[in-house]
Amino acid sequence: MSDEKPYRKLETQALLQQIAFRHGMEAMAASEEGNLAWVSSGFPVEIPVAMNVFPTYPEQSGAIIGATKIGPEVCGFAEDLGYSQELCSYARASIGSTDRPDDVAMGALPKPQAFLGCNNICGTILKWYDANSEQTGAPVFLLDTPPLEAEQKPHHRAYVKQGLERLIEFLGKTFNTTLEEDKFREVADLSSRAIKLWTQSLKACQNKPSPLNCADRFLTMAPVVSSRGMEHCTEFYEVLLAEVEDRVKQSIGAIREEKIRLLWDNIPPWFILRFFNQLAARGVVFPADTYTHAWSGAVEGTDTDSLLDGVVDIYSNVYLNKNLDAKVDKMCQLIKDFDLDGFVMFSVRSCKRYSLGQLVSKEIVTEKTGVPGVVIEGDMVDSRLFNEAQIQTRVDALLEMFV
Amino acid sequence: MSFPEVIEQSNQVLQALVDAGERVIGYVYPHPPHEILIAHGLKPSLVRTNPSVVGAYEASLQTFSCSLTRNLFSQRVSSSFPLLAGIVFSGNTCDALQNVGDIWRKRFPEDRVLRLTYPVGDFGEASVDFLSMEIEALSNELTGLYGVAFSESNFRTAALLLHEIRDVLQLFYTVRLLYPSLISYNTLSNLVGEFLTAPTQEASERMKGKWEEVVEKLDTNQKNTVEQLRESLLNQDLSDFEAEIDSANHRIAVIGGMVEPSTLAGLMENIPGITHTTLVLDMLSFGFKTVFTPPVSIEGDPFRESARSILGAHSEPTQEGLPKRTAFLKDVLTKLSIHGLIVCEQSFCDPDEFEAPSLEKAAEEVGVATVKLPLDSELSDRARIEGRIQTFLETINAS
Repeated sequence: MSDEKPYRKLETQALLQQIAFRHGMEAMAASEEGNLAWVSSGFPVEIPVAMNVFPTYPEQSGAIIGATKIGPEVCGFAEDLGYSQELCSYARASIGSTDRPDDVAMGALPKPQAFLGCNNICGTILKWYDANSEQTGAPVFLLDTPPLEAEQKPHHRAYVKQGLERLIEFLGKTFNTTLEEDKFREVADLSSRAIKLWTQSLKACQNKPSPLNCADRFLTMAPVVSSRGMEHCTEFYEVLLAEVEDRVKQSIGAIREEKIRLLWDNIPPWFILRFFNQLAARGVVFPADTYTHAWSGAVEGTDTDSLLDGVVDIYSNVYLNKNLDAKVDKMCQLIKDFDLDGFVMFSVRSCKRYSLGQLVSKEIVTEKTGVPGVVIEGDMVDSRLFNEAQIQTRVDALLEMFV
Repeated sequence: MSFPEVIEQSNQVLQALVDAGERVIGYVYPHPPHEILIAHGLKPSLVRTNPSVVGAYEASLQTFSCSLTRNLFSQRVSSSFPLLAGIVFSGNTCDALQNVGDIWRKRFPEDRVLRLTYPVGDFGEASVDFLSMEIEALSNELTGLYGVAFSESNFRTAALLLHEIRDVLQLFYTVRLLYPSLISYNTLSNLVGEFLTAPTQEASERMKGKWEEVVEKLDTNQKNTVEQLRESLLNQDLSDFEAEIDSANHRIAVIGGMVEPSTLAGLMENIPGITHTTLVLDMLSFGFKTVFTPPVSIEGDPFRESARSILGAHSEPTQEGLPKRTAFLKDVLTKLSIHGLIVCEQSFCDPDEFEAPSLEKAAEEVGVATVKLPLDSELSDRARIEGRIQTFLETINAS
């Protein structure tokens, strides 16, 4: 029996660890210097970065807590404070690790001076940061980006842009800083370049075999979430793209024997990323997913005003801020572009914004594309809400359709 | 009146309106632009949960959708929904309502589903600008859907009617707080229920008639105190309110989200230890917050004034302003001599469940005992809920 693993590890992962370590150290230093903000993943980070405010991400902290399998314990700290187990496990992990940082081996973040939340990813972010704010005393800034029914209306644009102007004022007051146009343009350019490189890596997965699997992308997305607008982020994606292109050139797949190509919908279960590797052993690869494709689009402009317009465009139009039709269209497009055989929808109990609607969109996507799908239910951090055997049964049923 | 009786009565009222040729439009979030809807010839009515309808949502919603949306969906699937000409879902208030509005459109394409998107941020005029544009867009959509244009004259009549209804309900709430023996919580909740079912002239007349009965029991000083407290509650500022509150009997307040006063009234009526003066205040979304909304001015632009009124109401857990809400709660608890606070948590309701620990903490900081009450629309755990309330009251009585 061969000891060879069914999947191939990316060499770029070593660099990823260095970046994560560096980010952690810089966050600690920023906290001590009074320049740290906790930021939601869909926040227009180009603005605080250009104003020398260092961002760090509770969602990534939640992913680390999940991946290190201490999710139930850390979420439990929040439950001890009265927060319901029905609430988002990222939020519970954040509240729990803020309450008892010394009891969290990995994933507790240094104390911030502000919370910067944008509700383009969910409505929970405000409530979560309000709770964190009560714990730390640091103020919350909310960038309100009302969900889009179709095209963004002019008064929505005006409202979000006013929010950005308030953000600049808030950061100026809280951190005694200003937004310089040259710096803003430079950061926006770096951010756009990183996103472009990342998008190229994602697009390369249209090739057969796919050079990246789900787990690869979930890990390598970290810098585009946490370090957009920073030089080292762009450098990382240059290295990643080079490795991806090399794989494509040599027809090296992310898994050794690609038989079935599937779409993944939603956040992954961080505590069991081996789920993807186990499927790799059966020839299943996930060349595309809706989660990592959420970081796309470039902030472009020639001056502060036009750059802010670009920010309004990009950050209002993120995947989770659109209606069900847009989500269905995106899934159908990915299935077509990546020539996928089916899809797996992970119904995440923590994330209503992402998950409610999946039962309906599953039917519509199958109707429109002709490919089958399955909905499995669980959670991204709290493994108490994940029934592996039940999920396996459902996935098996899907895979039998391809035999 | 029990909650099922409230539902029954509400459905009868709606049926009578429909039979009389009226168009009834349902709303889910407790801050609709009533006056604008009426100006289009519609009768706005709260879409209520129905505890007797269970479990018909599973093909469309996961179990972790909030109990409110699950129940509404189940009612629609099982065809036990009231006769509505349309339903207004809120946008940007919570993730469940946002997504369920979309799902509803897919599952029931024959329904007229409208959306009114609210600002979450407390940004003064920017928020008013945004909401007024949303309300105007809704108004245009109503014109297209029903062929009835916005009527300035109907708007003015509606603004007056809503002002009268809210005004008298505010007085009832205030009297209940100051002199709870003069109006039972059950009566108050029934009157609020009438407002939520349909804010009609007939309902207004009944409320005014009831008020005549109450006001004659108040002396001049008491009337002044009632008016002073009403203003303070409306302005969300109790700093200047000073009055002697009779706190010989234990006084309980209830806070939480999408629960109706009549649900609570029904829950409380059979619990040993509850007297007719025990529950003196609810601070619920469908009760207190809907009622304590400032009147719409008829002087300016109707959409803008409607937005200003809605945003002038006590804020919801779905909005910015937790520190302001907890500070106001502390004032209510201390200045109005509340001994115990019941914090309602609707099952799988993120805003409720996130806010509950902060509310409990605020109460604790001013020395008021609390109990958390996990609820769902079906009151499926009723015996345990009643047990919790009873134990809570016994604890307070013993202290």
